[in-house]
Amino acid sequence: MRSFPVRLVAPGFLLALGLSACGESESACRDLSEAPFCVALLTAGPVSDAGWYAGAYEGLLQIEQRWGAQISHQQTRTASEYDEAFLAYGTEGYDLVFAHGSEYQDAAIRAGERFPETTFIVSGGGRIADNVVPLIFTLENGSYLAGMAAGGMTESGVVGMVGGVRIPPAEGVFLAFEAGVKAVRPDAEVLETWIGTWDDVAAAKEAVTSHISRGADVVVHNTDGASFGVFNAVREAADAGDPTWAIGMNRDQNDIAPEVTLGSAVIRIEDAFVEITEAWRDSEIGGAAYYAGGESEVVDFVANPAVMDRIPADLLARIDSMRTAIRSGDFDPPRVPFIEGEEGYEETGAGAGGG
Amino acid sequence: MIVALSAFLAAGVRLGVPLVLAALGEMVSERAGVLNIGLEGSIIAGALGSVLGAMATGSPALGILIGAAAGLLVGLAFAVPVVWLNTDQIITGTAVTLLGLGGTAAVYTARFGATGAQLDVPQLDRLRIPVLADIPVIGPALFDVAPTVYLTFALAPLLGWFLFRTEWGLEVRAVGEDPDAAAAAGLPVRRLRFGAALFGTLLAGLAGAHLALAYAGTFTENMSAGRGFIAIAVVVLGRWRPWGVLVAGLFFGAADALQYLLQTLGWDIGYQLFLALPYILTLAALGGWIGRARAPAALGLPWPRTH
Repeated sequence: MRSFPVRLVAPGFLLALGLSACGESESACRDLSEAPFCVALLTAGPVSDAGWYAGAYEGLLQIEQRWGAQISHQQTRTASEYDEAFLAYGTEGYDLVFAHGSEYQDAAIRAGERFPETTFIVSGGGRIADNVVPLIFTLENGSYLAGMAAGGMTESGVVGMVGGVRIPPAEGVFLAFEAGVKAVRPDAEVLETWIGTWDDVAAAKEAVTSHISRGADVVVHNTDGASFGVFNAVREAADAGDPTWAIGMNRDQNDIAPEVTLGSAVIRIEDAFVEITEAWRDSEIGGAAYYAGGESEVVDFVANPAVMDRIPADLLARIDSMRTAIRSGDFDPPRVPFIEGEEGYEETGAGAGGG
Repeated sequence: MIVALSAFLAAGVRLGVPLVLAALGEMVSERAGVLNIGLEGSIIAGALGSVLGAMATGSPALGILIGAAAGLLVGLAFAVPVVWLNTDQIITGTAVTLLGLGGTAAVYTARFGATGAQLDVPQLDRLRIPVLADIPVIGPALFDVAPTVYLTFALAPLLGWFLFRTEWGLEVRAVGEDPDAAAAAGLPVRRLRFGAALFGTLLAGLAGAHLALAYAGTFTENMSAGRGFIAIAVVVLGRWRPWGVLVAGLFFGAADALQYLLQTLGWDIGYQLFLALPYILTLAALGGWIGRARAPAALGLPWPRTH
């Protein structure tokens, strides 16, 4: 029901972009002699989500600060605009284009053929070329730890997961979360709802309310702007005397509703952006997926310091030792394969969605 | 079972009410011959306006009014060119939707920062009606809700009375059916159309304000999420009649609530079908398979006609 209006809006959304764009310079990149290189960011949603897109925007700003790069950001609305946006940046001679979401992967391959001088980085992407590089965060690792926290804290034994659009990377995050819950609480029931959009804050709230009425007392999300609805619903339930926890995703969201947030499965997207930019400057990327962070701390579960006294010490210790096991490669949380050439990958031709 | 049914009804009402509010306004507008597909722009403006208003004044009630006014303001950008300059209604409406979505995003990021923040917004509290709220199953869904929900339910009979029992209502319908004849009878066609269109955007702004202050409890970019377009389908399914629109809007809400319920229950297949169901019925209504659904004869046409 929610994709139909978007299509109606499509033809002239660039007009609105003109209003909402963030004020970066429009000038052709090559004319700017003082910038060492030019970097662009494409997002399929607003960067004001305090999450997935906000982290990418933060990364773009850090690249500007660190190297004095010329930066630009564009928000695309529909699939028909992906090619347009790549074309615009390719034509203007941008060196590095971050496309923040797997929905860009097919358009990125086309753009890569057309603009061999430009490197395209697709966050969570699955398709690979010499100058098209998937940036993989393995959020499953943080999500698994978050699931353990949920499994340890639920009293009812019912845990909820509210997602945006059902795409393989997002499904993988929930698969790992559920496994984490059951590692600690094998008899737990895990509810799963997809709202079909990343931004609809009311829909997310409705989905959480539905989970709470089925007995859930810990709810995790994987949405963008809609996540505020998740935190609001949990906060309202807690205020009504129904102790309920929220778990943040993609970014440290512990301060959005600190009194009811257990912790967040975070990707330090900004660190990953800086890291891959460095690798690109050293000509170390291309022709393969790039795994951010390796064994460092790009992905993590961050318990909320404000409620630390309510989380049992042995649960925290268990999460800590699992973190060590995951980072050392002794344990691999389950994931949904979506990268070309990776084990279990199936050609589906589907490539929609984001986060 | 009773608990689940009660929760389902409450969810259906919550999801349906913003659609009904916006659709009732659109119905009045369309009755006068003005098809406003810029409704989405007024809804999102109403949402942001209500949040900014409630934060500035500390009063959610004032926030609701400011939100409605914001919807009206964006509505002016639609109604002035369409009614007085005879611009194409579809193109103007599209532009106004984009203006609303882009404009609110610009204001929001300018005010609250580019990467977003949880807003501390005064909420519009529920108003519980004693005794009635204790009725099993339907009580909590209908009588323990925000004041804007009662207003929505009251608007349906009020607008029915207005459109079909008053002189003004007759005039509004006349300019939507045959503006030439209406003009010959001495009616101010453009002023009637202008008023009806603006009333529609006022209710759309109210729908956005309700969405932000009485439902979601915050503002995020794009939070209208296509409800303006769904409302237009609701008007069709409701056959341009207030009670029909009320029932159709709640039906859309119930279908949405049902798919959440089914997903929560773990049914993995087919919930998208329930989302499609209202649209299938809307198409059936348009095709004339369920009753007589005829749009106002002059809907979407500029006046005076230029040849």
